[in-house]
Amino acid sequence: MNILTPRPNPIVAALYTLRDLDVDVAVLHGPSGCGFRAARLLEEDGMKVVTTSMSEEDLIFGASDKLIEVLHEVDELFSPKTIGVVGSCVSMIIGENVKKAIIDSGLKDKAFFVEIHGCMGANTRGAIETLKAAMEFGLIDENEFKRQEKMLLLATEVESNNGMAKSKYTRPSRGTELKIVADHIVNLLKENKKIAVILNAKKETAYLFADIPLAINLASKKLGGSVINVGNLSTDVGLLRIKRYAEDIKNNFQSNCISIDYLSGGMDEYPIAGKNAIEYLKDKDFDLLVAVGIPQALPIINKESIAVTNGPREVHPLEDRGYKYVTVEIASHSTVMGTREIVLSELGEAIRNAAGIQ
Amino acid sequence: MKQIAIYGKGGIGKSSISSNLSVNLASEGFEVLLIGCDPKSDSTINLFGGRRIDTVLDLYKKDITDPDKLIFEGYNGVKGVEVGGPAAGVGCAGRGILVALKTLHKDYYLEKGFDIIIYDVPGDVVCGGFAGPAREGYADEIYIVTSGEYLSVYAANNIAKGLFNLKVKMGGIIGNMRGIPNEEEKIKSYSEEIGSQLINAVERNPKIYESEIEGKTVLEKYPDDPLNLKFKDIGNKIIKNKEAKVPNPTTDEKIRSIIGGLY
Repeated sequence: MNILTPRPNPIVAALYTLRDLDVDVAVLHGPSGCGFRAARLLEEDGMKVVTTSMSEEDLIFGASDKLIEVLHEVDELFSPKTIGVVGSCVSMIIGENVKKAIIDSGLKDKAFFVEIHGCMGANTRGAIETLKAAMEFGLIDENEFKRQEKMLLLATEVESNNGMAKSKYTRPSRGTELKIVADHIVNLLKENKKIAVILNAKKETAYLFADIPLAINLASKKLGGSVINVGNLSTDVGLLRIKRYAEDIKNNFQSNCISIDYLSGGMDEYPIAGKNAIEYLKDKDFDLLVAVGIPQALPIINKESIAVTNGPREVHPLEDRGYKYVTVEIASHSTVMGTREIVLSELGEAIRNAAGIQ
Repeated sequence: MKQIAIYGKGGIGKSSISSNLSVNLASEGFEVLLIGCDPKSDSTINLFGGRRIDTVLDLYKKDITDPDKLIFEGYNGVKGVEVGGPAAGVGCAGRGILVALKTLHKDYYLEKGFDIIIYDVPGDVVCGGFAGPAREGYADEIYIVTSGEYLSVYAANNIAKGLFNLKVKMGGIIGNMRGIPNEEEKIKSYSEEIGSQLINAVERNPKIYESEIEGKTVLEKYPDDPLNLKFKDIGNKIIKNKEAKVPNPTTDEKIRSIIGGLY
């Protein structure tokens, strides 16, 4: 099926993965505007992102000299330990010999090439190629590569089975109004009901999504009811950076006296952690399920459920899966960059307001 | 004004045909512009005594796009342009052709009052850029150069497939013979097979190569040689040709039977 909905591409996924790997500088060998929105966000998160700004002339004559020059410039400007060079549609179509340029720059001990462009299928392909290049460069071992590759392929499957890649065109939507959702949650707590919250978040977005279980727990402490907390906050698996995210969030929960009842997996295990979470809740007694982060990776259960996503184009597919309410945290990507603690979410704020928490 | 493009297998003699055709048309009184589209920049070399003119893309790099500076006057008043392009093995020659054609400002050449513009296009049509001169607004019709050898006709047929897909008209086939038996008949049969025509066929002649060693066309080195009459005939037929149509490419089996059957 040819899907019409524009969706994340492998180049941007490669940039994000370089960030996850704690690479210091990403050099995008392509047009100046390629991936610029992602580049801006990633710079806020500490990684430098630069472009070789390929021009029409470079397209015709090749731009290896320019790439070498840019590599020298970033080496001088940022004194990086590691540099990831990422391909783009144009540089790969014209067959730029990036590996040779890296060798010729004399920086082959700190720079490695991610051979990727925009027409290579799902965005996860960009992440896989980056991890593979990182493995060959020696940043991660083969076991870690294989584990992550498996997760990324499962993530692709989740999107094509349950997410925005399942139909030809998916309309964006903001879902149910936040106040309606917040009131519903707060009213149940006032009636002394039990809410299960599953945090199934992808990497840094957890800093935002974790605010929702936090708000629900705070509301419950004030108004009554009880909460079962499940989250993919294991610090046993994943890259150092990603484990650090989980550590930060657990510390935040702890300082708010919130205990996690079950760790459903690591933060890059969202494609399988959702299943683990549901499996754990199978025999538990509760009145409402609130799934935040990547709810599309959760099996369907026969229980009143609310989904919180960060993708307006995930709303309709989630509604199709039978969620009573689906709502969107629209600002997730921009608010979490560079943070080390949970940031305020819109739904979290609405819950706090409904519960009268300052 | 007529615009034509010359296609054909690599090394088959497109540039020899184009340059000899150009100078002979000029001596018939026509205003001729020869645009070489090969990144090697060797289409017009025989108009300039072996000298390589500045290419459109080299000048483009220096921000020179004034049409007067892209066009050079060669032997017998023929105007020459070389598109140019990247060094072998880097960049994208196809994109280069598209950009150069845009830079050339067609309207300017219309004003200059050329009778014929000849695009000499490299080898096979390997990507979209190489089909550029065949697109709407450039060449009105395509001529394919071929010998009677199987691989050359096979390449010609592949080009005909491209023309069929792009719905581009073909004016005919120009034979550049290698001296195999019944060669002209073979080329003629193939031309008719695809619904086109053989314009004329040039025999293998050492005078062409002797002239090229000196960076000349036959007209310049051997002005009285009858070979020039052949090129004049081809030129006049092209100028007058009203039979151009989209070809119907044939199958590999058919090509083999046409060529094999005439031995």
